[in-house]
Amino acid sequence: MSAADPLQVLASAGKGESTRSVLRVIILALIAGAAISSRLFSVIRFESIIHEFDPWFNFRATKYLVANGFYNFWDWFDDRTWHPLGRVTGGTLYPGLMVTSGVIYHALRALTIPVDIRNICVLLAPGFSGLTAIAAYLLTNEMTPSPSAGLLAALFMGIAPGYISRSVAGSYDNEAIAIFLLVFTFYLWIKALKQGSMLWGALCALFYGYMVASWGGYAFITCLLPLHSFVLICMGRYSTRLYVAYTTWYALGTLASMQIPFVGFLPVKTSEHMPALGIFGFLQLLAFLDYVRSAIPSRQFQTFLWLFAGTAFGVGLLGLVVATSMGFIAPWSGRFYSLWDTGYAKIHIPIIASVSEHQPTAWPAFFFDLQMLVWLFPVGVYLLFQELADEHVFIVVYALFGSYFAGVMVRLMLTLTPVVCVAAAIAVSHLLDIYLNAKSPENPDAAADKDADGKKGGKAGLKSTNKPLVGIYAGWVKSVIVSSFAIYLLLFVMHCTWVTSNAYSSPSVVLASRLPDGSQHIIDDYREAYQWLRQNTREDAKIMSWWDYGYQIGGMADRPTLVDNNTWNNTHIATVGKAMASSEERSYPIMRQHEVDYVLVVFGGLLGYSGDDINKFLWMVRIAEGIWPDEVKERDFFTARGEYRVDGDATETMKNSVMYKTSYYNYQNLFPPGQAVDRMRGVRLPEVGPQLTHLEEAFTSENWIIRIYKVKDLDNLGRDHASAVAFDKGVKKKKPAKKKGPRVLRVE
Amino acid sequence: MKTSVVFSAFLSLLSLASAATTSSDRKTYPSTFRPPQVFKNANLVHIISLEKNYVKESINVLVENIDKSPQNEYYVPFTADQLSRLGGVEVKDRKDGSVGPFVAEAVELDQSDTHYIRIRLPKALAPGAQQALGITYYLLKAYAPRPASIKQEDQQHLAYAFSAYAPSAYATSKQKTDVKFPSSTIAEYTKLPGSGDVARFPQQQGSKLTYGPFDEKPAGASQPVAVRYEFNKPVTHVSRLERDVEVSHWGGNVAFEERYTLHHRGANLSALFNRVKWQQSQYYQPNTWALKELKFPLRAGSADAYYTDVIGNVSTSRFRSGKREALLEVRPRYPVFGGWKYPFTIGWNSDAKSYLRKTPAGGFVLNVPFLEGPRQAEGVEYEQVQVRVILPEGARNVKFHTTIPTQSIASADVEIHRTFLDTIGRTALIIQARNLVDELRDRELLVSYDYPLSASLRKPLVVFASAMAVFFAAWVVGRVELKFDVAGKK
Repeated sequence: MSAADPLQVLASAGKGESTRSVLRVIILALIAGAAISSRLFSVIRFESIIHEFDPWFNFRATKYLVANGFYNFWDWFDDRTWHPLGRVTGGTLYPGLMVTSGVIYHALRALTIPVDIRNICVLLAPGFSGLTAIAAYLLTNEMTPSPSAGLLAALFMGIAPGYISRSVAGSYDNEAIAIFLLVFTFYLWIKALKQGSMLWGALCALFYGYMVASWGGYAFITCLLPLHSFVLICMGRYSTRLYVAYTTWYALGTLASMQIPFVGFLPVKTSEHMPALGIFGFLQLLAFLDYVRSAIPSRQFQTFLWLFAGTAFGVGLLGLVVATSMGFIAPWSGRFYSLWDTGYAKIHIPIIASVSEHQPTAWPAFFFDLQMLVWLFPVGVYLLFQELADEHVFIVVYALFGSYFAGVMVRLMLTLTPVVCVAAAIAVSHLLDIYLNAKSPENPDAAADKDADGKKGGKAGLKSTNKPLVGIYAGWVKSVIVSSFAIYLLLFVMHCTWVTSNAYSSPSVVLASRLPDGSQHIIDDYREAYQWLRQNTREDAKIMSWWDYGYQIGGMADRPTLVDNNTWNNTHIATVGKAMASSEERSYPIMRQHEVDYVLVVFGGLLGYSGDDINKFLWMVRIAEGIWPDEVKERDFFTARGEYRVDGDATETMKNSVMYKTSYYNYQNLFPPGQAVDRMRGVRLPEVGPQLTHLEEAFTSENWIIRIYKVKDLDNLGRDHASAVAFDKGVKKKKPAKKKGPRVLRVE
Repeated sequence: MKTSVVFSAFLSLLSLASAATTSSDRKTYPSTFRPPQVFKNANLVHIISLEKNYVKESINVLVENIDKSPQNEYYVPFTADQLSRLGGVEVKDRKDGSVGPFVAEAVELDQSDTHYIRIRLPKALAPGAQQALGITYYLLKAYAPRPASIKQEDQQHLAYAFSAYAPSAYATSKQKTDVKFPSSTIAEYTKLPGSGDVARFPQQQGSKLTYGPFDEKPAGASQPVAVRYEFNKPVTHVSRLERDVEVSHWGGNVAFEERYTLHHRGANLSALFNRVKWQQSQYYQPNTWALKELKFPLRAGSADAYYTDVIGNVSTSRFRSGKREALLEVRPRYPVFGGWKYPFTIGWNSDAKSYLRKTPAGGFVLNVPFLEGPRQAEGVEYEQVQVRVILPEGARNVKFHTTIPTQSIASADVEIHRTFLDTIGRTALIIQARNLVDELRDRELLVSYDYPLSASLRKPLVVFASAMAVFFAAWVVGRVELKFDVAGKK
């Protein structure tokens, strides 16, 4: 649509270069505006709020950076997470996102515009998505001379759901800026490669450094650029341009990446970074060979080449193997293995598998996230194959690898989206360039060709590119093609809007429901409970919850947590899993050892909220079992028939677990006797609810989503808690069953 | 028309209180200071009102000069603890309503537990003459919940201790003390032997207890008594209220923002919060001592109300804007029980027309309520209140006048506040007040200032000039040739 209008305007109005560039700037600005505004659904529907889980940590870190300055942030040791271990936060995060927000914040302050840091964080992702659209425009313009392709790519990039999913307002995550950096780094790489320019190479390295500072996904660039170079070399396209571009990028980029404490010496130590180093060395060899070839006769050169290449490869491989086995180079990490074997994580690292975004992608997700781009994407790649200059090889390689990774892990759909947008834009613009041309081709002997062309246009108009003399003559063919594409584009826009509005714009901290009269009702249980914690508990009260809520508790409740979404310490998480999965008597010592004051569980039974802890419970059990296979057994939580049940037929282990007890404690009293129902799992609960001995209910939110329990202090009289509770309830102390001696008549 | 007359009348008052000077200056006297025994309280009625969650006391006293010379300084004693919680002291002439509030100021003694409030009579009292004084004041944080922690479904009781004889620095011939309660359920009270025709004190009439009348008591006489009564309402205490009033001439808007740090000073929960019980009590017994709701009546025409706290918007609020009054109803995220805390922020916009007037002399007068807290049946007390009136950039000659008792005003300063695209910063009048209660919520704050046209044009000009500078710089940068190869230029 937006591509068609300016073209008509162009045709009638300005033919001059400056008019075109003004139009282009205006269109780009409009696209950027559309990209930003389509991400604001949640702000308009709810409020300017940070979404989900990870962004809460980024937000908290940003606030710390703004409050304490950069150097304190760099050295930040956070003792309010991973109690009692703490976390060297400054050295274990990617600071790019926070620093970007901090810079924007201070710049606005310098202009005396008092913007809240929260609003900067909320709107950072939409803002950068506008920049991503422009970067996609630049990248596409490097691929094709067609002026409309870049604009289409920018448009696709701006509204493709695959990218929106990680960049709606409030989704303050590393990806928010990383995708812009990814696309822009690629653009600079292409620019450097095409011109063989050291300046562009250095710029590429600069943005690569920024990317490394921002997102762990930088490894994608680290692997893709060497791969591209390698493919080029294999195609016999080694050139000094490639040498200059690559060596400049690698040398400066690696240095830049090593400045980030979290990355440090990884670029020379881990396997993920080895391809880049290998290609760097390989390029040196090639350059050397190139020099030698110019110096010695070709027959000698052949022998020299084989000998030299074989030795170099052998030595290099041997060196790599030795260095890996000696431990100088770390072997591939688990997360990396799971990229090749999707079942790896499930068996070896349950904690990775427990995250939904690490699951393999289901095929409908591709249509959901890309819609018509899915089928335009191969067309675009094919068209690039037709020309296959150096830069087109890049897109082809990127497309192959992007597709593979997107199929392996849901979240990597994000890295695929840019190349899909670029390729699809090239395909669409190619079609439109042909069919939107109002003039018939001036061909003197047109009569003979006409039929053939008409057929061709309808069926395979793409081929016509190869034969410049062939053209589309029938006006109706043009109008059919153009209008059908206009409809596709319209449908695409509608699909994107629909997906964004329905799937990706929920803050998940706040839930929305409708009242019978149609008005919106906000379910705000998370913040209710977090605010209660923040205001009415001790400043250093330790909260034990499953790791999903760690960042939120840190950000909203401002209380120390045992585990959080950083998941760097599997054992610590397993400890929490064990405490949740064991009985109260057994988890009480664990909680005392970790100085836990409150236990927080999420319970969706009253509301039918599916993301609750009972549904996640099996992961806790599995992770705990991974460390303590003797003490926690997944099998014990299933009934004899292998069912996972929470009603009266639940296993004893299940019923006695802290998680079960804290979820259902007192819940039965909300219903008439015997009518308690878990609306999430749709089962009727036993009439008598669980009894707590070592914990006591401290707070339950309005819709029971968050339940907070206080861990009792040691009993004043030195009793164990079970007997203390029994005493308070007036239960007679059970006499030991195997009492010796005859029965005595009770005398009172 | 009429209002402008009223405004110009106020202007004469305004000239008295220039904002640059702090309004109340406290004197410290040596600990040996005793008020000269020049007065006698001929008759005294002490009314202690415990109906709200702060104490309102009024002492109606008939003062007689027993000295030989005319006297104009009357002292009322308070303990140091009381003085720190004392607010809103107002003294009026009981007989003649037209005589404005008398000047009342604190006289603090060095290292002594007894301090005084000195009342200056505008006209010295001749020897033997009598003067009827009505002294009212509020005491904050006056109660203790007894028992200190109770169950969620129990009734809350508060205890208050005071002296059956009114505190006075002078001998009192005749006096009585009335204690008003919120309900007739008075669990306990101190009983005293009676005098005269009353067998024993106190006497109860509905929700009122009367100690007295007592006969002649010397200066400083005290008879400690305590009462404990049912108060099944929240004891809402705002430890700090920051109220911002931002005036925009260009926008024709007055923006209000209030940040509350709210505490519940009532009974704590003996067992932790139980949601089942709470939900059940919502149906069966909605009357509770937990704070569930706050109602803020705002001026008519208020708009864009918001209600947030430190982690974002709070969805449990309703804003109704009517012709006569706008009402903002907010509910805390959770019911606030004794010992709990709930800080929050509210804000709204109003049309400047209803607050701002231009004076004939060319200046401006802003008339806003000094305090606009919630209107609760049980009352609200404010320990510290900071009112910040942010005037437009370049406003000068700021003066203010308020009908809040001067004893409660701690300080007033004019500072610079920098915000949206300011170059020299906005003039901000900051008034610190302490120990206020919601009964004073309709008291006015009048601020007069000059705002020349040149100041109002400053911002558009600055913005325009800087935009032009940016364009010019961009043009200059665009002209710079960076390439070595000039021939390759297109």
